[in-house]
Order: sequence, then C-alpha cells, then structure tokens
Amino acid sequence: MITEITEKEYETLDPATPKMIEFYSKTCGPCKMLSFVLKDISKQKPDFPIYIIDFDENRELKERLGVKGFPTMLFFKDGQEVSRLEGLKQKPAIINAIEALY
Amino acid sequence: MNYKIQYTSQDHLITQQAQAEKTFLAEFAKKNPSFAEPMVVPNPYLINPLCALVLFKTEDKVAPTLTVHGKRYERENITHTFPAATEHYLPVLGLYEDFDNKVTISLPDGKTTSLTITTDKLPEDICRCINIQASLDYLGDNIMFLTPAGKNLPTAYDYKGDIRWLLTENTMFDIKRMKNGNIVTGSSRFCHMPYNATGMIEINLLGKIYKEYRMPGNYHHDHFEMEDGNLLACTQDFSRDTVEDMLVLIDRNTGAILKTWDYRDILPMDVAGSGSQDAHDWFHNNAVWYDKKTNSISLSGRHQDAVINIDYDTGKLNWIVGDPEGWPEDMQKKYFFKPVGDLSKFDWQYEQHACVICPNGDVMCFDNGQYRAKKKENYIKNNKNFSRGVRYRIDTDKMEIEQVWQYGKERGQEFFSPYICNVEYYDEGHYMIHSGGIGRENGQASDQLGAFLDMDNPNHELRSITVEEKDGVVLYQLETEGNFYRAEKLSLYHDGANIELGAGQLLGELEITEEFGTVPDAEEVFELPSSFHQIKIEEDEDRFVFFGRFEKGTLVMLLLENEDESHNYFVNTSRSNYLAMCSGAYLEEDDRDVKMHISKRGLKGIFNLKVIINDKKYQSGVTLCC
Repeated sequence: MITEITEKEYETLDPATPKMIEFYSKTCGPCKMLSFVLKDISKQKPDFPIYIIDFDENRELKERLGVKGFPTMLFFKDGQEVSRLEGLKQKPAIINAIEALY
Repeated sequence: MNYKIQYTSQDHLITQQAQAEKTFLAEFAKKNPSFAEPMVVPNPYLINPLCALVLFKTEDKVAPTLTVHGKRYERENITHTFPAATEHYLPVLGLYEDFDNKVTISLPDGKTTSLTITTDKLPEDICRCINIQASLDYLGDNIMFLTPAGKNLPTAYDYKGDIRWLLTENTMFDIKRMKNGNIVTGSSRFCHMPYNATGMIEINLLGKIYKEYRMPGNYHHDHFEMEDGNLLACTQDFSRDTVEDMLVLIDRNTGAILKTWDYRDILPMDVAGSGSQDAHDWFHNNAVWYDKKTNSISLSGRHQDAVINIDYDTGKLNWIVGDPEGWPEDMQKKYFFKPVGDLSKFDWQYEQHACVICPNGDVMCFDNGQYRAKKKENYIKNNKNFSRGVRYRIDTDKMEIEQVWQYGKERGQEFFSPYICNVEYYDEGHYMIHSGGIGRENGQASDQLGAFLDMDNPNHELRSITVEEKDGVVLYQLETEGNFYRAEKLSLYHDGANIELGAGQLLGELEITEEFGTVPDAEEVFELPSSFHQIKIEEDEDRFVFFGRFEKGTLVMLLLENEDESHNYFVNTSRSNYLAMCSGAYLEEDDRDVKMHISKRGLKGIFNLKVIINDKKYQSGVTLCC
C-alpha cells in the first residue's frame, strides 16, 4: 500500500510497524520511474506500508533523517532506520531491503 | 510534419581504415609506382591530416631514407631509414599544416626523389602554442604529445611550437609508447558519462588503429605496459554503485581480462575523503604503475589524497603515501610514513595524479594540491594554492618519508591545475612536469575545473604548461591554449615497424547494458516524439548511442521491441553534479541534453526502437540490427 504523507503525518506513524519511507521530487525522472517500481512492489506485497514524502515540501524531516537527495528510500523497523537505498533501484534490491525487515 | 529522428549508422573506424587501406593498396598494385614516381596517399588512415604514406617498388631490396624537411633550415629535418624491401610503404610524419612540405627519399646508391606534399590549414578551434622555450639541441627528434581533457584534440608540438601531429578523433587520457613502438591511448568512443570510452586503442602515428581493447567496465585515466606486453588498465564495474575503483590486466593479443584488482577489498571507502570525494567516486583511481623490483602496483587515488602500493600477486596493501589525517589509527600505524629530513620544505600531496616509481624506489607524482587539506575548514582556495611535481624518498622498513625534490610550488596559482596532469622521470635530476589543467577567471585561478568554465566568456582562459627541468634548470617550457590531460615526449619515428598492413582488430567486449525490469504505464501512440527532443541515434558495429534533449525530471525509457521480446533501458534525465571531470569531451553545453550508450552484447535480432516520454510511448521509425 502506497500512501503520500507530510512530515506532520510522519510523526503519527506507528513506530513498531516495519515500513519504507521514500523521499521523492516532482522534478526528478528517476523518482517518476521509481513510482512505477513501487506500484509493482505494492501489488506483490500489498500489506507492506510504503509512504512517500515530497522532498521539497518537507525539508525539516529530510534534514532530520539526513536525506541528501532524491529518490531516497529509508527502511524502518521498531522505529529505527535499518537501511537506506539512494537513487533509482530495481525491484529485487528493494524487495531484499523489505524482506530484511522481517 | 517534416521532422524525422536523425539516424546514422557508421562502421567502426577500424573497418573504415581497413577499407581505405584496401583501396590504396589496390591502386598501388595497379599503378606499380617506381622510386622516381612514387604514389603519395595523404592522410591514409583518415584521422591524421599531417601525415602521408609514400609507396613505391624497387627491383632490388634496398633501405630507403625519408626526410621531412624543416620549414627553416636543415637542422630541423626529420630523417628515418626504413628496413630494406622491394615494396616500400613509408609513413611521412610531422608535416606542417597549410604548407607545401618538402619530402626527400633517398636510396643507398645515392638516387633521390623529391616530393611536395601540401597540407590544409587545421581547424580554427585547435589549441595553439602560446609560448615555447626550447631548443633543437635539447629536444632532438622529439616533439611533445598532449592528450585532450575536453573537446580539443590530441596534438603534438615541435620545438618552435608548430603543430606536427594531430588526430581528428578525440582519443583521451594517457598516451604511452609501447615496446613495439606503437602508441596506446584511450579510445574516443563514448560509453558512460562523465568520460568513459569503450577501451584503449593501439595505433601507429599515422593514426591507424591496430587494436581496440574493449572493456566491460570501460577505460579511464591510465594504463601500463607489463614486461610481457600485457596491459594494466584502470576500469570499474558499472553494475555497482561505485566507480573508478578497479584495475584489470588485459591480454595484449586477445583483449581478454586476465586478472582483476578491486580496491573495495583493499581500502575503507568512507575515510579520509579529499574535497572532491563522494560515495560514488570514493577513490578516483587516476594512475597505475607496476614496479618489477618489488612486484607491486602503485595506484593514485585522487579522492583519498593517497598513492597506495599493493602486492601484484596477492593484492595486499603494502603502504600509503599521503596525509594520514582521517585514516583509522591502525592503518596510520601500519601503512603510513612519517616525514623526516627538512620538514620546512615538506608538503603532502593532495588530489594527485600520475604516480611514478623511480628506479631507486622513490615515489613521484603530480601534486595538484586541490583543497590541500583534509578538513573543510582548512581548505586552501585555488588562487592561494600551488601545484607541483614532487619526489618522495620512502623507507619501507622505518616507514619514513623525505621530500627530495619538487618543482612548481614557487610558481603559485599561475601553475595551478586542480585536475589532470602528469610528471615523467627521465633520469636522475631530469624530469617533466605537466600542469595541463590551468583555468583562470579574470587572471586568477578559477574555483571551477577547466572543463566547466564557460569559454564564451572573454575573462576565462584555459592553459596547459609543460616544463622540463634538468639539475634544477628549466630547459623546456610549452604553454598552449586549452587543457591537456597528459604530456608525453616522443619521437615521430622509432626503430620498430612504423607501419604494419592489414585490418585492425576489435578485441575484448563491452558490457551487457543493464536493462530496467519495470516498464512504466504509457499509452502507445503512433507518432514521433516532439522535435524539441532532438532525438538522434548513432549506430556502430557493437553498440548504439541515443541522444536527446529533455527537461529535467522527464521520465524517459528506451525500448527495443520485436514480436518475441522487449529490452528496456531507463534514461536518466536528472541534473548531474560531477565533482571530477578529467575529460570534458562528452559534456554538453545544454544540460538538458542527455546521451546513453547501449551495447549490442547479449542482444540478437532486429528491433524497433520506441521511446517512452512521461506517459506516452512513441515510435522512432528506427530499426536496429543486433
């Protein structure tokens, strides 16, 4: 399931749930491509929560999480960042990072 | 609508040259030219306008001597005697541009034939000599070869600064004469940004390519000929997220990769970064040198301010020359040297190039000095900085280092090159120092690399200065327009075969270009993309290159489709910030212009090329045969 959120909504997420947060920009070709990859992954793993956040509109959060560019995918478990992928990645690399959360 | 996608298909230069050679050899066989009336083929291999080939037959086996006459006086003549034969193919090298060149051929019996070979003016935008301090006594038969660091061309200058050799192909990076007399340098065929070409080429000075050594990770920066003729070459693995961190040994005859060294197995990647380091280009290997005495390889890593030395057989790290600040303590103790001697004159090297191991084991390099510190707060601005050639004496038992020579610090910013450059060791006290990456804004060293300077601005200038010093005395200085990656002093003729006939070989292989597993939803439309995109396809024997103009953030994918299969390639249209740009040959003026190379390796069949641009899948009208 893919949901777009703001930094305010990010604070309300259940820290215990494994999840992915993706920072994207509307002006980024690789981010557009990644959105199709994530759609595919969401079909394959419909219960895994994927949250997407606009890099340009949520600057405080991206700075707090040390996100330097887009797209950046952060993988969380028990409220802690377990891994991150920077740049456009193919489906298998992202699936691996998701599966490592369980 | 008249708009069409521009498509060109061109044979590899090796094929074009083989065809050209076949044509002039057929004419030679037909005409049977005599010594008195030889056949002259100007620019026989298509890429060197300052050369010709003279062909004739003699009844007896004789050794002809060819003289290319100097413009001014006899002392300037270039003379070479060729092996005895009855069929003669004599390369005429070092012609002056835009000139009626006098060439004489003489036989041992005293017969001579004189020819006039007229050349055209070279293109307007070539880099000219601005100043030269040199003498014939010092240079002898040698001229200075410079390899380009941008869209300029490989060019060689004589003692007067006249251009005597030039290739119209942008061959790049290192240039070295091999033991057989041939030259090995980088190929000009684009593969990956920012400056990766398909591989290396082995050529003669007429410009004939004998071999292209293709490499899956491409070639960048430097190579080194081993005693058995095989080649060490700097490369990388494009399937990884880091670059310029691998070395390969290439079989000279087959192009096969015989051995690989991966620096990720040797060094930590996230320590001691220079001012130009990022996670992607963490080491930036710009030079390789093999030392037989110690059976070790020295590697220059610009982005760790380090020259490292590894064992040839095991790949184990032996030592590191560089500022130890920022390296883990255990590595500092084990691999780094302690400066000794006159410390008031000692400086570490920063963002260096072109490491050389001298016969006595000393380490030389070109110390570019970019940033000249490990911590950001200590960085030195370019206009307060210096570049130099430097020689260090190292004691690997005591782990001590002493600076025993330098040239350049005293020249300050005027000699400062933040990138590229090299040094050469000729003999004790006799060195070349090539500062080829000088960029100035309003007379001050620019903060930008030369490749990024806007040369339409009259206050910007690019310069290359090559100095030779013997026993502390400067005996040679060449200053040219433009930036040049390396300098190499060579004679035009050598004792080996100056020409060998027969078709060149395309060896090794390119990578299998990574496909993208996900295809975006896009509506297929039966029309061409807008002319705004200026799409162009250049097909070659072993790959094709896609060119197009896209606003940043456009989603672009190339698809090769036929009835049975589809191959999909993502085209990145994002803005790229390059921290290193050792050759700007492939940089586009408009940053919306993108290009992507796709290797034909692994593809078989006839494919229609289609292009997804955002939510539409367009036709191109181009069919590719793989």
